[in-house]
Amino acid sequence: MTAAAPEPKANMGRPVPRYDATAKVTGRATYASDMPLDNPAYAFLVTSAIAKGRIDRFDLDDARGVRGVIDIITHENAPKLKEAKLFSNGGYAGTTIQPLKSAEIAHDGQIIAVVIAESYEAAREAASRVKVSYTATAPSASFESAGTTTAAAKGQNAQFKEDPVVGDFAKAFEAAEVKLTASYDTPTQHHNPMELFTTSCAWMGDNLVVYEGSQYVYGLKNGVAEQLGIDADKVRVVNPYVGGGFGSRGSMTPRTAIIAGIAKRLNRPIKLVPTRDQGFTIATYRAETRHEIKLGASRDGKLVALRHEGAEISSRPDAYCVGGTKTTTRLYACPNIESLVSIVRADRNTPGFMRSPPEVPYLFALESAMDELAVKLNMDPVELRRINDTTTEPIGGKPYTSRSLMACFDEAAKAFGWSQRSPQARSMSDGDWLLGYGCAATCYPTQMAPSAARVRLQRDGRTRVEVAGHEIGTGAYTVIAQTAAERLGVPLEKVAVFLGDSDLPPAPVAGGSNSTASTCSVVMMVCDQIRQRLFKAVMPSDSIADKAKETVGISPAPSTRAAKGDRPLDIEKAFDALGVGVVEEYGEWKPEGAPLDSFRALHAGQPRFVGGHQMKDKIAYAFGAEFVEVRVNRFTHEIRCPRLVGAFAAGRIINPRTARSQLMGGLIWGMSSALLEATEVDERNARYVNDNLADYLVPVNADVPGVEVIMLSEQDDHINPVGAKGLGELANVGTNAAICNAIYHATGQRIRSLPVRLENIEV
Amino acid sequence: MSDKSSSRTSTFDRRAFMAGAAGSALVPMTARAVAQDANEPVAQDPSLPVEVTLRVNGKDKRLRIDARTTVLDALREHLKLTGSKKGCDHGQCGACTVLIDDRRVVSCLTLALAAEGQEITTIEGLATDDRLHPMQQAFIDNDAFQCGYCTPGQIMSAVACVKEGHAGNEADIREYMSGNICRCAAYPNIVAAVKQAAPEIMKG
Repeated sequence: MTAAAPEPKANMGRPVPRYDATAKVTGRATYASDMPLDNPAYAFLVTSAIAKGRIDRFDLDDARGVRGVIDIITHENAPKLKEAKLFSNGGYAGTTIQPLKSAEIAHDGQIIAVVIAESYEAAREAASRVKVSYTATAPSASFESAGTTTAAAKGQNAQFKEDPVVGDFAKAFEAAEVKLTASYDTPTQHHNPMELFTTSCAWMGDNLVVYEGSQYVYGLKNGVAEQLGIDADKVRVVNPYVGGGFGSRGSMTPRTAIIAGIAKRLNRPIKLVPTRDQGFTIATYRAETRHEIKLGASRDGKLVALRHEGAEISSRPDAYCVGGTKTTTRLYACPNIESLVSIVRADRNTPGFMRSPPEVPYLFALESAMDELAVKLNMDPVELRRINDTTTEPIGGKPYTSRSLMACFDEAAKAFGWSQRSPQARSMSDGDWLLGYGCAATCYPTQMAPSAARVRLQRDGRTRVEVAGHEIGTGAYTVIAQTAAERLGVPLEKVAVFLGDSDLPPAPVAGGSNSTASTCSVVMMVCDQIRQRLFKAVMPSDSIADKAKETVGISPAPSTRAAKGDRPLDIEKAFDALGVGVVEEYGEWKPEGAPLDSFRALHAGQPRFVGGHQMKDKIAYAFGAEFVEVRVNRFTHEIRCPRLVGAFAAGRIINPRTARSQLMGGLIWGMSSALLEATEVDERNARYVNDNLADYLVPVNADVPGVEVIMLSEQDDHINPVGAKGLGELANVGTNAAICNAIYHATGQRIRSLPVRLENIEV
Repeated sequence: MSDKSSSRTSTFDRRAFMAGAAGSALVPMTARAVAQDANEPVAQDPSLPVEVTLRVNGKDKRLRIDARTTVLDALREHLKLTGSKKGCDHGQCGACTVLIDDRRVVSCLTLALAAEGQEITTIEGLATDDRLHPMQQAFIDNDAFQCGYCTPGQIMSAVACVKEGHAGNEADIREYMSGNICRCAAYPNIVAAVKQAAPEIMKG
C-alpha cells in the first residue's frame, strides 16, 4: 500500500486504483476537445473591451480579408436564440446575459463576435483584426463603486428562501459577558479548471451532438435544446472525461447554443477553443463577499448570541448568491441568532458555483471570529468548539443525522501535535521565522438528488453500468464500478462503466457533492433488481423468493450469497431458467423527501436536491477539522505553510484512495484560497486584470510541502442507501480561517481580508 | 535563406523565420510554401500553408499546415494525437509538455516548423508494446491525478525531471515539477510517483 491508498477502516471500501487510470496516464482519455470531428471549422471569440455601454459599429473588412475566414458572427447576423432562463428560476443557464443578441454590453469580456475560419490560426488572426467602436459608460465594478444597488437576497433569489433567525439576538448580545464584532471579506476567485471552456458542435440532419466539458450533461442538453427551440431528444451532450469542474461547468453558458446555431447555419462541425483569459468572463466565478459577525458569549465560552451578515456581488440582471448563513447559523449551539444576506449588483458577469460556494467565504468569517473569541476568552480554540458542540441545529432544533466534529478535532489535533502549541500569540519561533499554529472547523451539507441507471449482466459475469454521471476527477467511474461489483458479487474487472453522455439514463448535476450518494444509490437499487430477477428464476417458490427479496435491500454489504443458506447463486443456472442472454434492468431512484415531480425533473435536466438543512425532521452534514502550521519571516514577511493536517468524517467511504485524493486536493485549495488566489478587479473598468495562469496564482508543487489526510470511520443510516456523505467540497472549507488564525498566533496580527500576502503582514 | 533545396532536417532558425513572417519576402529555409511557382519569390504571407515533416514517437509525419501552427496544435488538430493538452496556450500551465530531443518543451510555445528534424515524444509514445512506462505505472500506483487533464504533461515533465537528475530528493522534485499546474492539486502524490519511478528510469 502506498500513502495514496490508505488501509480501509470500518465502513470503508477497498482503495482500488482508479477505473480510468490507464486511460489517463496514456493520453487515451478523451476530453471534449479531443473528440474527432469531420472537417471542422474553427471558432475564435472576440470579447468586449468595455464593461458597460453599447457597440456603435464593427469594422470587419480587415478581418474578413484574412485568408481562410468563413464568416464573422456579430449581433447583427447571429442565429436567433430563445432566452436562457436561470437555473434557479427553472431554467438551465448560469447567466441571463445573452451575448450577440443586441449591441448592449453588460460586462467586460462579454462575447461580441465569433470568427469562423478554416484553421485555428486564421480564426485567431482575424479575431485580432476585428475593429469595434463603442459608446462606453462608467461601470460599477464592485462594493466600493458608485452606482451599485443593494437589496436583501430573500425575495429576489428563488433558492434563497430565508434568513435564519432564532431567539432574540439583540437582547442577548446586549447582555453578553464577552462580545466580539468583526468584519471579514473574501476576494473574487476563478475556478480555472485545467481544461479550457471548449465546445464542439456537429449536426447530423436535425440532430445535434455537443462535445463540451460539463458537470451536467442533462442540464446542458435540455438548455441548449430550449435555446435552439428544438426537441431535447435531438440534442446529445458527450463528455466521458471532464478536465476539472469545481462548479464552473454546472450550469449552461451562452457559448454552447451560439456555437450550435452557427454550426447549423454553416452546415459544418465547429470547434471552439476559447483562450484562458476568455474563460474568466465567458463562464462564472466566485464573487467577492463581505461579512460582519457579532458573537456574544458567557465567560465560560458558551455562545449566547450570534449574528452573521453577508453581502455578495452579482451581475445587474441576475440575483445569484450563495447565502452561507444557512450553514453558519447552524454549526454551533446558540439560543439567539440573527442573519441577513444581501446582493450587490454591479456591471459584472454573473457569478456562480465554485467549490463549496457558501461555505468557503461564510465559514472564513465564522471560524475566524470563533478564534478571535477564543483569544478574548483566553481559551483554547478547540475547547471553545467543544463547549459549543451540538447534536441538534439551533434554528429548527432538528437533530444531525451524525456529527463527528469533535472526534475530527481530537484526531487532527493529535496528529498535528497541537499540545505542543504555546497559547500566547508571537510566542513560538524558529530562527528568522515566527511560528503559528491555527485550526478551524469545516462542514459541508450532505445532499442527494434523483438519479437513474441501467445495469446489464451477462452470464459470464460481465457487467455494464450506464448512468449519465460525470467524471470530473472525483473518481465517479471507480466508485460506481465498485458499487456494482459489490452488489452483484462479480469481479471488479468485469464491470464496465459508461458516464458523461446524455443518451444514458439521467443523473443529477455533479455539484453539491451529491454524485456518489445519488449515482451509487441508484446503481445499488438497479443491481438489486437484477439480483431479484435471478433469485426468483432459480427459487420460484414464494417463500424462498420472499427470502431473496428480504436480502435484496439497502443493507451495506449484500452479496449473491445472501439468500439460500449462504450458497452462491449460480448465475448460469439462473440465466438458463430465465431463458435470456442478458439480464438488464433500468431504475430510477429518489431520496427520501424528494418532491413529487422528481422524475419528470430528472429527465428535464433539473435536479431536485434533498439534504443539508432542508430535510424533514433532521439535518445532514459532513464535518472535519483542519490544523495548519504557518511560518512568517520576521524580516521579509514571507508566509509559508509547511503543514496542513485535516481529519474528516463523511459517512461511508467507498474508496479511501479517491476520497483521500479529493480531501488532499481540497486542503491545498483551502491553503490557496487563504494565501494565493484572487482575481484583481480594475475599479475603473470593471475588468479582471490577472486573467491568466501566471498572474492568477494557483498552487504549484513547490507550494505544497506536507499534507496529511485522516479519514474517520463513520456510519450514518439516515441519509441515503449508500450511507455516503460526499466529501469533494469538505476539505477546502475552513482552511482559510485556520491559516489566518495561525498567522495571528505567529504574529499577533489578525487578518480579516483574503488572500493574505506578504505586504499585508505588519510585524 | 531562400534556397528551398536546403536540407529539410536542418535545425530551423527561429529568428530567420520571424524575420520572414514579418514581411521580408523570405521563407524559412526548412519550410516550403505550397503551390508556389519555383521561380517566383516565395510570398511572405504567413497564412499560406507550408509542408513540414514532423518526427513523432519514432514515425515521420508529413503535414500541410499553417506556418503559425504550434507543435501542440499540429499534434492535436492534424495528427489526432490528443494526449497533449491545451490548458493555457501561453506556456504557463505545462499541460502540453512533450519531449523534443529528450528535452521537456511546452509544445504550445513551439512552432511545428521549429521542431522539424527533431524527435518529438508525446504521452502516446511513452508506453512500449502495451507495457506502461515506469512513470505511468507510478502515477497509477500513487493516484497522482484526479481529473487527468494535466497528467500527460505531468508525466512527460516527470520523465525529463528524472533524466535531468532533478529527482534526487523531494524538495528537488517539487521544485522541478513546478512548471506543471495540477488544479486538482494531486501534488504530494505526484512527488511520490516521481520518487517511485526514478530509480527504475535511471537504471534504463
